[in-house]
Order: sequence, then structure tokens, then C-alpha cells
Amino acid sequence: MKKTLILMASLMMVSSLVLSGCGSSDDKSGKDGSASGEKKTKIRIMGYNKEETRKSYLEYLKKKLPNVDIEFQFIDLKSYENILRTQLAAGEGPDIFETSGSGAVYANADYVEDLTNASFTSKYNDTGLIRYQGKVYTIPLQSWFEGIWYNKDIFTKQGLTPPKTWDEWMTIHDKLRQAGIKPQAMGAKSWEPMMKQSMGMLLNEFYAKPENKDFDTAFSDGTKKVSGNWNELVTKWTETIQKGNITKDMLGIDYDQAQDEFATGKAAMWESGPWAAEALKQKNPNLNMGMFPIPGLTEGTGWLIGGPGSALSINKQSKNKDAAMQVLEVTSTPEAQQALIKDNFGSSFLKGVDVQLPAEYQDSAAAFKEGHVYAPWINWPFGAIAEDYGKALQEVLTGGRTVEEALKVLDDKADQQRKTLTGK
Amino acid sequence: MLRKRERSFFLLILPAVLIYMIFYLYPVISTFVHSFTDWSLLQKNIHFIGLDNYKALFHDDVVLTGIKNSILYAIIMTIVQNALAVPLAVALDRNLRTKNWLRMIFFAPAVLSPLVVGFLWSYIMSSLDYGPLNQILTHLGLGSVNWLGSAKLALYSVILTQVWQWTGWAMVIYLANLQGISKELFEAAHMDGANGWKTFWKITLPLLVPSITINTVLSMIGGLKVFDIIFSMTNGGPGHATESIVTVLLQRAFTDSQLGYASALGVLFSSFVMIVTVLQLRLMKRWEVS
Repeated sequence: MKKTLILMASLMMVSSLVLSGCGSSDDKSGKDGSASGEKKTKIRIMGYNKEETRKSYLEYLKKKLPNVDIEFQFIDLKSYENILRTQLAAGEGPDIFETSGSGAVYANADYVEDLTNASFTSKYNDTGLIRYQGKVYTIPLQSWFEGIWYNKDIFTKQGLTPPKTWDEWMTIHDKLRQAGIKPQAMGAKSWEPMMKQSMGMLLNEFYAKPENKDFDTAFSDGTKKVSGNWNELVTKWTETIQKGNITKDMLGIDYDQAQDEFATGKAAMWESGPWAAEALKQKNPNLNMGMFPIPGLTEGTGWLIGGPGSALSINKQSKNKDAAMQVLEVTSTPEAQQALIKDNFGSSFLKGVDVQLPAEYQDSAAAFKEGHVYAPWINWPFGAIAEDYGKALQEVLTGGRTVEEALKVLDDKADQQRKTLTGK
Repeated sequence: MLRKRERSFFLLILPAVLIYMIFYLYPVISTFVHSFTDWSLLQKNIHFIGLDNYKALFHDDVVLTGIKNSILYAIIMTIVQNALAVPLAVALDRNLRTKNWLRMIFFAPAVLSPLVVGFLWSYIMSSLDYGPLNQILTHLGLGSVNWLGSAKLALYSVILTQVWQWTGWAMVIYLANLQGISKELFEAAHMDGANGWKTFWKITLPLLVPSITINTVLSMIGGLKVFDIIFSMTNGGPGHATESIVTVLLQRAFTDSQLGYASALGVLFSSFVMIVTVLQLRLMKRWEVS
């Protein structure tokens, strides 16, 4: 009898352990009876930027929305999309969530609320609003951007100034090499840096042209392809490979190793964003650095790679849409934008928000002023197909593919994903 | 009375059976079923599409590269690792004064996480000026080698690190086997005038076949499943040069969100590993000395 009792108890324990994992901890009502008797609406915001980068913003929301109880949930970017998509597919998920620049993916799957006619949407500059099939589903927080970090001391010593044209930039590489200095560090083990630098050429010479304004929409719906449109410019970009600025050994170097090279003055330039600034200063407190935009073939302000990297969407299945809309309303005020910028530097897409550029970004001021910050791939409603293009460019560097083939990889991948998504 | 005992036994194994069914059997069946669908996290609806996923797999260049690399990796790993581990075990089975130290040194890499090994070797093989391996080669006048950045060499560089990590582990299994072989056999061979080489071929190696079976089967399975070391050292690159079946599977499932397609790859891959293992076991059993 005793044995049976022990057995039953063990069974119950195991069963409870197993079954507890299947339960949902979501507060379906979304209402929280507070001690004061007031009913607060609970809003869950899920994001991939750490809570400390949202501290001032969350405090501001709390002050402005006393009736809303905001729970911020941080998920590391590595697993963010998987967790979010799984929750959304299960009909659950947070009320508001950050997108990693692919808001269109969620719009396509009908997971997000249409914000086109929301009162706050028109307060943003158009460059910050991701449109999918003509509709707005996300509102941008501060921008993310990447440019070319350069070592000011090396540049001064060599009598160099940030380039205004592509040819000037290539000449800078040559001069540095002649002086025995590695011109550029690159962690090309990742598919990102080459993909982004080739996009730099395209932003200046393709996307800047009015006739290509809607190219990404056309590429997304399959009416236009990159093959035939990008060939000449990407081929021109490979000049930097032929000149030996980007070399095969860089394919074995990762982001941190390249960062070390730049931080320690072993390389004069490195492409990255503001998030690297702190690490660079920690590695070398005496590093005198600045960031310039990627220049184009003709003289101009150049372009930074970036966009509304951090944007917020409302879950269509949220039980508390009104409160979620209130959160976005408050977010769309200059005060909330300044609070966001305070903890994580970037420009704001909200009209009338004046952002003071720190000294190291002064060389990019003109590009910011012109709104020359863009990343094409975040407007494509597909999975990470830019990764396939980046990997194909790695193969261009190894000699395993031609530019034409690399662009075909991107087209084929887009076709395949479009078929999965729409059946077309 | 017997029935009551049987019931007790049944209750005792029930938690294990439940856990097995929920966390193993159910996902396996679910993966199999989903492999015939277009399940994607980007779509709300799932449709049955028959064998389309399986057909598409054979037209996916990256999948084919992954399959080729995994097979190549598994075969080379199995051969090199065991070819080194057997003589190493035989050498360290002798009465050397430093044998315990040497055994420890050779086994030590096996306790490290593959991710740690990956990052460690990424620095050792770095083409930057602090990469020790290239520094040595340059000092010897051989010039530096692009270990991880060359599409032709990167996979072999990864295999090299894994041979370094796992040879000691295979050696320990051989050592355990060697210590179980009766010394009388060696003495008798010695009396009959057999030299060391002959003793190795005629006595040691045939009696090591059971552990050769274990080691080669585990190496093959581990090799075909390779993921973590590639993820940490090359992330499948440059381009797709070091992609394995599992890196492609994860890419298709979680980067592209094509879960149905990735399920098909998973089913195909599991079946392949199972077939290879069964064939290998049968082959090795024939060689085993009863």
C-alpha cells in the first residue's frame, strides 16, 4: 500500500511537471485589479533591445499612461523571431512588439494591425514608415545606421579626409596601403559586411534615382528582379575586391577580430554602427574616430546603411488594442522620442524632433540631413534572403560565383519565398 | 499477486514512457506529418502538399552541398580519428612513467565544449598577425595559410580541430579495451617469436574490433550530425563551402521559416543516418572476433 502511495505521488509530481509546461501564463483578461481598486490594463511589449536601452522611454510611458501597466519583455535577437512567430502562430503573443526591420513579414501573415490611418502615423517622415502593399503596419523608433568608421589620427597623419566620391575612397585605400597601413578591416566571415557595402553603391546610384523609388515594392511582388537592374553597379562595386581592399583572408575573420584590428589602429577603416562605439572606446580609450557615409560615383553626401530598425507593431490578436494604440500615441511625441534616443543613439523619424549628433558622427551630418539612410532588404516581405545574397558575394570573393550568379541567387530565393508566402 | 506486481512495474515505467512519448515520439511523428505540408511560421494556414518538399530538396543546391559536406566530414573524421587513436592507445598502454599525464593531455580537449574549441581555433587559425599557426608557418618560411577563409580548405580546417578534440576520447575507449585483453596472449605470441608488428596485426587489432565498432559508429553518427563546431568556426561559409546538413536544416527552419520543408530534410536526414548506422554495424559485426 505504501509502495502504491509513493508511486502515485511520484506520478503526480512528474505529471504536474510535464503538464505545467503546457499551460499559458497569459492574462487573458488583460485587466489587473490593483490595490487601489483601479483597473489597470496590462500591455506586454516584446523587444530585442535590452530594457536598459528603453529605460527612460518606459519611465515616460509609465508617467503618461497611469492606467496602463506595461510589462517589457526582452528576448535576445538570436531567438527573438522564432519565439515571436511561434507565439503569434499560436494566436497569442505580446500586445506590442518590436520588429527587426521586417514588419512586412508580419503584415503578410496578417499578424499586425493596420496603422495607416492611425492619428499618430502622419507625424512620421515617410522614410521611416515601412509600407506593405501601400499600408503602414509599424511605427519607427530611432533609426539604426552603419557607415565607415575611420581612424582620424591615421587620416590626419596621411593627409587624408573623408571621401566624397567612390574614386576618392578607392584612392584613400591605395594611399594607406602604400603607407604600409591596412586600409580596411572586415569581418567577412559574416555574410553582412560585403552585402552592406555593395548596397552602399546601390543606395547612391540606384535607389537615389526617382525612377527606382518603388523598386523594393516591385521586387517584393515579383514584377521586377535585381538581375538586369543591379548588375552594372554591383560589378562596379567589385572594384574594391580587385584592388585588394577586400581580400579572401577576411572570410576567415569575424566581427570581433575586425573590431580589434580597427580599435588597435592596425586598420584605418571599419564598417559598423554606433553600437560598436562603446566597445571600441573600451578597447582603445585613445582612439580618435569618426564615421563617414559610403560615397557614390558622383560627388554627394553619400549614404548610410540603415533604417527604422526598431519599429513597433500592434498584434492584431491583442485583447487590449485601445491601450496599445495609446502607447503608440505617446511614443509618437518628441518627448518619448528623446527618451528613446537618450538610452540608445539614433535619429528619430518623428517630424520636428531635433537630434544633436555626437562629434564622431559629424562627417555623416549632411547624409542625415538629406535622409540618406536606407536598407533595401528590410522592405522585402521575405525571410532573411539578404543572407543568401551576402553568402553569394562571399563566393564572388572566393571566385566561386560571378556577380550575375550572385544576383540570380537573390532573385531565385525571392521567387521561392514568394511562392511559399502567396502561392504565386 | 503477480498481476499486482506487474501493475507496480507498469506504474514505475509509466513516467518514463510518458516523457518519451511527449518529448520524443510525438515530435518525431509530428515532424514526419509536417514534412508533407507547406507549414511556415509566416503563414496562418497549413496545406498538404504531398511529396513536394522532398522533391524540392534534391533541387536545392545548398542542401546538396550540406549533404556532401556532412558525408565527407563524417568519413574523414572517422578514418583519421581512429587511425590516430589506435596507435596512440597502444603506445599509452605500455608501462611509461608519464602514461597518466599523457593520457590526461590527450583526453583533455574532449571535455571542452565544441563552441569553446571553435572560438579557440578561430584565433589559432586567424589570418591576422596574432594567429599563432600562421606565425609558426611564416617563421618556417612556408607562408601563411587562409585556413578558414578559403572555400577549398575551410572544411578540412574544421575537421583538423575535431580530430584534435576527439582523438583522445576514442583513445580512451581503445585503452579500456586493451586493458581487457589477456596478457597471456601477448606472452604466447612472444614465445612463438612474433615481433611487435605481427603481434599488433594478429592479436591486438582483431581483439580491438568491438571498440573499433563503437568508435567508428559513434564517429559516423557524430560526423553526419555535425553542427556546433561549424556554427562557431565558419557559420557554413565562406559562402556555403562548409555548410552541413544540420546547418542548412536550421537555416531553412528558422531563418527562412520554412518548417515543413525543414521537416522533410529532417526526416530524410534521420533515415539516412539510420541506414548508415545499420549497414555499418552489420559490416563491423562480421569482423568482430567472437
